Amino acid sequence: MKKEEYKLKKITIGAIISEPGSSIKYKTGSWRSYKPILTEFTPPCTRECPARIKVREYISLIKEKHFEEAYKLLKDKIPFPVTIGRVCHHPCEKKCYRGQFDEPIAINILKRFIADYALKNKKKPSKVEITKKEKIAIIGSGPAGLSAAYKLVKMGYSVTVFEALPVAGGIPRFGIPDYRLPKNVLETEIDDIKSLGVEIKLNTSITDIKHLRKQYEAVFIAVGVQKSRKLNVPGEELDGVICGLEFLKSLNLEKKVSLGKKVIVIGGGNVATDVARSALRLGAETFIVYRRSRKEMPAIKEGVEEAEREGVQIKYLASPKKILGTNKVSGIECVRMKLGEPDESGRKRPIPIEGSEFVIEADTIILAIGEYPDFSFLKGSVKTEKQRIVVDPKSLATDQPGVFAGGDVVTGPATVIEAIAQGTKAAVCIDRYLRGEPMKYGEEALPLIELEKMNLSMVETKSRIKSHSLPVKERMGNFKEVNLGFTEEEALEEAERCLSCGSCKLCKLCSIYCPDNAAKMGETEAEINLDYCKGCGICENECPCGVIIMELEVK
Amino acid sequence: MKSVIEEVELLAPGHRMCAGCGLAISTRLALNVAGINTIVVLPTGCLEVTTTQYPETSWRVPFIHVAFENAAAVASGIDVALEMMGRKGINVLAIGGDGGTFDIGFQALSGMFERGHRVTYICHDNEAYMNTGIQRSSATPYAAWTTTSPYGRYSIGKKKRKKPIGIIAVAHDIPYVATATIAYYEDYQRKVKKALSMDGPAFIHVLVPCPTGWRFPPDKTVEISRLAVETGVFVLWEVEGGRMENLKVTVKPKKRKPVEEYLMPQRRFSHLFKPERRQDVIDKIQRTIDEKCERYGL
Repeated sequence: MKKEEYKLKKITIGAIISEPGSSIKYKTGSWRSYKPILTEFTPPCTRECPARIKVREYISLIKEKHFEEAYKLLKDKIPFPVTIGRVCHHPCEKKCYRGQFDEPIAINILKRFIADYALKNKKKPSKVEITKKEKIAIIGSGPAGLSAAYKLVKMGYSVTVFEALPVAGGIPRFGIPDYRLPKNVLETEIDDIKSLGVEIKLNTSITDIKHLRKQYEAVFIAVGVQKSRKLNVPGEELDGVICGLEFLKSLNLEKKVSLGKKVIVIGGGNVATDVARSALRLGAETFIVYRRSRKEMPAIKEGVEEAEREGVQIKYLASPKKILGTNKVSGIECVRMKLGEPDESGRKRPIPIEGSEFVIEADTIILAIGEYPDFSFLKGSVKTEKQRIVVDPKSLATDQPGVFAGGDVVTGPATVIEAIAQGTKAAVCIDRYLRGEPMKYGEEALPLIELEKMNLSMVETKSRIKSHSLPVKERMGNFKEVNLGFTEEEALEEAERCLSCGSCKLCKLCSIYCPDNAAKMGETEAEINLDYCKGCGICENECPCGVIIMELEVK
Repeated sequence: MKSVIEEVELLAPGHRMCAGCGLAISTRLALNVAGINTIVVLPTGCLEVTTTQYPETSWRVPFIHVAFENAAAVASGIDVALEMMGRKGINVLAIGGDGGTFDIGFQALSGMFERGHRVTYICHDNEAYMNTGIQRSSATPYAAWTTTSPYGRYSIGKKKRKKPIGIIAVAHDIPYVATATIAYYEDYQRKVKKALSMDGPAFIHVLVPCPTGWRFPPDKTVEISRLAVETGVFVLWEVEGGRMENLKVTVKPKKRKPVEEYLMPQRRFSHLFKPERRQDVIDKIQRTIDEKCERYGL
């Protein structure tokens, strides 16, 4: 009912005037000793995201069908929302509080939904005016390098990116197969960065950092990892033993690859599953040999599941002992493993079981047991240690002034989102360095919301919406995209499941349960009328987002 | 989402109910559904004394205060008067406490049911005479402390069980009887709406936890109300047409919690836990609930 419909009438009985609702004169707020305060907290998804993407905020924008704004929010933070919406290992979903209630929100697929929506209706960004006199060189056009370039060009710097390969994009360009990330998607996002004014010099290897540093005020090294680790078993030099990254590079840069009928992939990471699923698409019978069990596998869970569904046979707890064959590979001898005590990585150490050797035949063996960077180009100009460039973790600065490094060269092989986070961090610190400010990177983060503070009694259980995927039988012999994402209706339905941890979602529960009509919904969050609030604390206890805090009021 | 800031609350703030009062929440919920075209009949009780402090009133609908025992009789009179005047579309809502309904006003209520007036009677059950200082009523549950059912060496609190007022109302063969509680506000409001649409008497028995009389912190009001349902202490049901076989449980707890979770936070039951744990009494309460829930198919 609206105010105008309701007219207050005075009732006069003798000398007494009693107005309907006249008790509003009596301000019961004076009874209070505790006062409710609306606070905002960091949700677990954002806390867990290496790039601190504002997940709760963009999901809330999806709920209101403001897809364009949601995209802007994402694009503001990272240059690759469309790519990341496909390839991210989404640590956010592991920590999603809804996961402890029923199932986590499909954060990554929602992100992909808005990114795809924007892709359909997007305009090219216009060039950013160069306002700063310093020039910056970035070595490597992977996610770390390009994220740094994106941030720096938006700050007004002139940025040049040097790329040794004939294509830009790094691992997402040549190391992730098309069925996971169609290349036109990545290219659109790289084009956006170029339109902003970043210059990308392809086929340009840098061999002298010191010389480069003389031409540019700051240098950011983000060359990533190129070399695959060796097994160190007999027979590794045989024809038919190839490296995972090399294989993916040949495949993606459209060179012919012939594998034969039977392929064995060794390793348990994302490269291993990508290689195996690609080999399967090329028509080979494919095995993965991994020395630990499925639980310890570092690959994204979905990648392993899809690989198995497509028909990749995974041999767990098996380790290669010898590669068999005279000139050409004919098979592999493996030994069975059992799991012992956890090692320094926290995973259980595999121990060989004596006498349990077995043989698998193969035409090709692909090694995907880890990658490391090629530092020959550095020529000792920057300090390295254990195949990583040594940097100050707060600023990513190397031992050379004005030279920064980030991405896989610093962290070791990691994920795309971690590389993006490193690039962003480097950009902020390079800017601070050039302005002569202390180099440190830290966002002022609100404290994490605790699950115990959120009252989920009135939330109904609802399963996570499954996204569409290409039927398995349509996947073979081609590299068509497998995950097809959400429709608009599905995205809206899934977004509704978000609990909005640590931020008011205008659910009205406080207003419904307030005995004193003191809580009302404002534009963006609940508002509490302290004139009448008696400080009972029901709103704090019932708030499903955990945003109301009762604070002792000293009078 | 639509903002409700413009909406006029029919129960104005500034009332003197205790902080965290369940009664205030329940009244707001019911009035929101009943709307402006409602006449409220109010017998003596917490709600009456806290909303009508001279010379102010919290009511934004016409209301009449009557004596403790005759809310149902006055409401019947209003119904007949409206009929004689040819006024249609006006809700008559009687809101009594457990004292005014279970005990003192019961005779008038029974009469109203028998005569079949078009009145919705909401009983706010806070399980004792809270307004006068927490004296036991026939709604006070077994083993609860009140000032007139103290505990001690020879007493475990109230010795008698709670009167099943809802079932008694159903026995009057009236169109609609339901139970509700504040935590499940959607269920409650739906029942009020249904009750008001009936052509004849409707009765809603609402459990409203009382922080003052039940001895729990005021922020736990809704939680205790929810626990009452989750433990099976209070079953939310409705019966149409006065036939018990039509009884429908409207909110089913997914997994029924042990009654202890409901008793523990309320200090009116604290004597069951210290100085020594009265497992025999807790078990007895649990058994009664189990039997009741079995009857309701929970």
